[in-house]
Amino acid sequence: MSGFRVSVDIGGTFTDIVIVAPDGTIHTRKVLSTPEDYSRAIEEGLIRLLEETGVAPGKIGQFAHGTTVATNAIIERKGARVALVTTKGFRDVLELGRFRSPRLYDLSFRKPEPLVERRLRFELRERISASGAVLTSLDHAELGVLAAKLKAEAVEAVAICFLNSYVNDVHEIAVRDYLAAAMPEVDITASVDLLPQIGEYERTSTTVVNAYLIPTIRRYIEALNGRLSSMGIRSPLAIMQSGGNLLSGRLAAGQPVRIIESGPAAGVVGAAEISRRLQGDSLLLLDIGGTTAKAAIIQGGLPGQTSETEVGGGAVLGHRLTQGAGYVVQVPTIDLAEVGAGGGSIARVNAAGGIEVGPSSAGAMPGPACYNQGGTKATVTDANLLLGYLSPDTLVGGDLALSPDLAEAAIGELARKLNMSLTDTAYGIHLIANATMMRALVGISSERGLDPAAFTLFAIGGNGSIHGPKLAEDLGIRRIVVPPAAGVFSALGMLLAKTEHQLVAGFYRPLAGATTQALNNETASLLGRVTELLVEEGYTDPARRALRLEVEAKYSGQTATLSIPVAGTAWDECVRARLKADFDAAHRDLYNYASEFEPLQLVALKVSGRGLGDEPGTTPLRRSRERTVSGTRSAYFGAEMGWREARLFGAVDLREGPVAGPAIMEEYDTTIIVRPGVIASRDALDNVILEREEA
Amino acid sequence: MAIDPVRRELIKNALITIADNMIMQVVRTSRSTVVKNSLDFSASICDAQGNTVAQGLALPGHLGATMPALAACLRLYEGRLRPGDILANNDPYSGASHLNDIFMFAPVFSGGRVIAYLSLVIHHTDMGGRVPGGNATDSTEIYQEGLRLPPLLFHEAGVPNETAFRILEANVRMPERMLGDIRAQIAALTAGVAAFEMLLAEQGASVIETYMADLIAYAEALTRASIAALPDGTATFVDYNDDDGTGGDPVRLKVRLTIRGDEIEADFTGTSPQTSGATNPNFWFTASLTYAALRTIMPMDLPTNAGFYRPIRLIVPEGSFLNPRFPAPVGARGQSGYRLRSLVLGALAQLVPGRIPACTGGSEFSIVIAGRDPADEPFLMLEYHNVTGHGGGPATDGQDAGPFCLGNLANVPVEVQEAENPVLIEEYAFIPDSAGPGEFRGSLGIARQYRLLDGEALLQVRSDRQKFPPYGLFGGDAGGPGRTFLAPAGGQLEPIPAKVIRQISAGEVYRVEMPGSGGYGPAVRRDPARVAEDVRQGKLSIAHAARHYGVCCDAGGKVDAEATRRLRAAMAETTEEA
Repeated sequence: MSGFRVSVDIGGTFTDIVIVAPDGTIHTRKVLSTPEDYSRAIEEGLIRLLEETGVAPGKIGQFAHGTTVATNAIIERKGARVALVTTKGFRDVLELGRFRSPRLYDLSFRKPEPLVERRLRFELRERISASGAVLTSLDHAELGVLAAKLKAEAVEAVAICFLNSYVNDVHEIAVRDYLAAAMPEVDITASVDLLPQIGEYERTSTTVVNAYLIPTIRRYIEALNGRLSSMGIRSPLAIMQSGGNLLSGRLAAGQPVRIIESGPAAGVVGAAEISRRLQGDSLLLLDIGGTTAKAAIIQGGLPGQTSETEVGGGAVLGHRLTQGAGYVVQVPTIDLAEVGAGGGSIARVNAAGGIEVGPSSAGAMPGPACYNQGGTKATVTDANLLLGYLSPDTLVGGDLALSPDLAEAAIGELARKLNMSLTDTAYGIHLIANATMMRALVGISSERGLDPAAFTLFAIGGNGSIHGPKLAEDLGIRRIVVPPAAGVFSALGMLLAKTEHQLVAGFYRPLAGATTQALNNETASLLGRVTELLVEEGYTDPARRALRLEVEAKYSGQTATLSIPVAGTAWDECVRARLKADFDAAHRDLYNYASEFEPLQLVALKVSGRGLGDEPGTTPLRRSRERTVSGTRSAYFGAEMGWREARLFGAVDLREGPVAGPAIMEEYDTTIIVRPGVIASRDALDNVILEREEA
Repeated sequence: MAIDPVRRELIKNALITIADNMIMQVVRTSRSTVVKNSLDFSASICDAQGNTVAQGLALPGHLGATMPALAACLRLYEGRLRPGDILANNDPYSGASHLNDIFMFAPVFSGGRVIAYLSLVIHHTDMGGRVPGGNATDSTEIYQEGLRLPPLLFHEAGVPNETAFRILEANVRMPERMLGDIRAQIAALTAGVAAFEMLLAEQGASVIETYMADLIAYAEALTRASIAALPDGTATFVDYNDDDGTGGDPVRLKVRLTIRGDEIEADFTGTSPQTSGATNPNFWFTASLTYAALRTIMPMDLPTNAGFYRPIRLIVPEGSFLNPRFPAPVGARGQSGYRLRSLVLGALAQLVPGRIPACTGGSEFSIVIAGRDPADEPFLMLEYHNVTGHGGGPATDGQDAGPFCLGNLANVPVEVQEAENPVLIEEYAFIPDSAGPGEFRGSLGIARQYRLLDGEALLQVRSDRQKFPPYGLFGGDAGGPGRTFLAPAGGQLEPIPAKVIRQISAGEVYRVEMPGSGGYGPAVRRDPARVAEDVRQGKLSIAHAARHYGVCCDAGGKVDAEATRRLRAAMAETTEEA
């Protein structure tokens, strides 16, 4: 994976492109997304960035990609026409769900409608018992009838989930293979190919979401591959997974459920890498884009992870107990809190005369009023422009000049309704957006027992270092880090991620009842499959493959599992005994007690394989096109401080020494607000550091 | 100390977080299905006087009992508690709820004084007594229902009370599992105390005390303001339980709800006298659910604490079904709890029109199948399916399988039940035609069917709504009634009573059909296209569409407009004649 490395992150408003040269120099470009065909913006933006930097497409050794296409397909209900095939008597499991309301006392709450309507949920006579015995065999005559119905309904994708398939997958595999042969044009997902885990509703939901996404994502990946090869880029496409590792485009097309939180995960992975380089600073990440603000925690160089998340339920603030608002997917996901507030969030005056901001967004088209693309609604970006935070000239590298007049017209209309001054209205919009963004920061920290003031704020995204400084002040956070390429940091983060494959096999039996041979057989099969995937990606030398075995296990009566690493990849009596001891110790660590005499129940085996030798994290990153900026601009810092002349400066100016606020740093993709009383400086890693001036 | 609203918000969140974290730890470590899958527990924070200040994720049914259960403990132990003490109480006649709900409280100290009590209540699967699971509806005295733990110290200065543990162990059916859950409950409380101590170290005890008092005053002020914004008025509503739990007559529940100024009065005079069965709620359960129903018309962000209860006045005659005298049994009072919620909401629907939907579906179904498995190990399968979906509302259909915000119990995965018990679940599905017809229809009822795979077991069922199905509102019809069936091995399903206790043997099949919810507004006003869409989805039959909605359509959802017009005209005539 030598040569130039390229990554592209598609967001709701902008598509961010990053090229990292072999010497660590970062080149970036931000272009407006093209929702009608997202890959168009990629091609156009990439061609221009390659021209600017003089990099030949053939020299690109890695192409990493993050995308919101999956999430958008679910939110906009634009996925495939899916049928569900399930066990007789259980076609309504998908719609029945778990009966938890995330909003106590709210009689008006409704859960989302199922992704497969009832008439497309088909039942087959078959039954596997909880111990894996076949109680009712599949009737092959029924399969022919089923295939005919599916063809008549012109479904594009099929999800298969049978009861107890996590113990015995024979029926799912048989139906999957039959339908694949009978209707090769239809995409088929069997639950056991994703995550063979107990819980029929969660497994069905995950399978259905995957099936719903496959056609959309496959077409998308095909289109993108086509564009890349026509540009002469030969390196294979890798896509960011929600869990923070890269996955080949070919695999992602079959398991799109793994890439739902693709872009957000990339930013967190990049932040974790920077945190390791900063000697393990605990970071509170704040990523503010055009539509949403996201927050995550990094401690000990690692981001938090969850094993289950919900998609399409709006802001993901809560945890398991408050779920029910979206579609459950059980895939490893980086733990994020998200709210609907960003630069494009629309401000309006409600019936009671209050200002509301978001969650609706002006998006890429028409965008904020000041983009001069026909938008007339006031947005947070319009407010930030009027407050002097944004330069009329420099946003998006001058490609897109902002119009203060149009911003004034849009915000002026709200000001008249509110009978307030233009400045007070703009600042009100800014503060209300802040209050919403605060919920994400608090949701991931103090609501989980962590004091935000003990963290360093890591501000990324186009608006992270515009809103972050005031939010840090309100939370008592004393230090802010703004990394290089902060405005396109998710794209950069993908190039700091690792390629890792993780395969899981259900293995639901007590440790005492699992023979060493059975454990070795299942493990060997997983090892073989993971190795194949790594070889396919060029890791032919065994010394360049790191394989890791983990066991999902629990005490026999529990439901939640712990993931316990196993030393080596082969089983014997000693390894088995050690697993029980390690589980007891891990349980004690987490929950302050262990049940040494309670039998251990194995749930699944997991093998992860990583390619070694080209870890991206070793080269220092450097900004390109650093500039010097001079002059001042009036900016508004609230009623107490009023309008102040802020010094304008660039990254080059910061080499000469710290800059005291009020000041505004303007970079190609980033604007950093240095509030009065704050000092900006630059560290050895090229990060901009904001700290309060000591009184 | 001046109150800073931002700081109040932060301290409120910190308190809720401590409670939520206790809950999360219990979920991850507990053994019983009713805890880890149904999520039957609640956590809250009380001040040094025992007033609730903040709630974590909780079940409405536990809320009103927290304060009286703690008060009963404090009457015995106040002034002699030490750090590391944990109090326990499950006695319905000492403020608690039913025997399975063990309330535990841990004091938090600062400078030798109690600053707060953390509360964690968990439903334990079995407390002994004559029937596994403690849900029998035909008990006649509380002595039959299991082990009563009057207020007592379960941990003394961090040391487990061995006597209490050994008595528990000897009196419950699955002691390993039960004691595992008790340890999980204690460990979570201990972790909560440590988190609270950190908060005290950060903010200082006097700040926390000031803001805890302020949070209660703030909730009361907000509650009063939102009641004052409602129109004054009085409304009466009546609903029934099918029987008293022992097969007797229907039980009448009546409320007269009055909104006056900034207060609400709920007067239950006119309710049947207490019964000999076990579906009587005790006073505090009645209070909990009345508060919960009234909470739905308050602003969502209102802190639900002691301040919220103050403007609400309850009149519940002693000796009535809703406030029975000792030693009445209360084990199956969960069933009446749902009737109470629907009762109070029915009255509210008249006082605040346009906000309250028709009756929630469901038969408050709970089932226990207990015995010994092929390895001769004891098993106890316990499930609650209290609700089936939303009632039709003023502007929307009742959502099928929509979760009810006042009965937040999750269902248990079929695969978990089958992995842990020798039971096969043969069906879990909607029942077509069971939704209450209306301009906005109710949700569908739900069927679940169980087969015992091995040996013999005790079947104990609590359910209702076979004679009095979930009501419709403003011209909408009731949801389909509940039904229950049993089939011998290889035989036909035969109807059996809603509430049963009997032995079953391998191969026997038990089936429950839980009611749909009520409709809202006359069914003949429903848009024919929406009726036809339900037919197309297999949720309604063609015959049901014609009979109840006056809509003629085919299985593909195509409406015959002319036939529909004629049918609806004929239906209108019949109604006028009647």
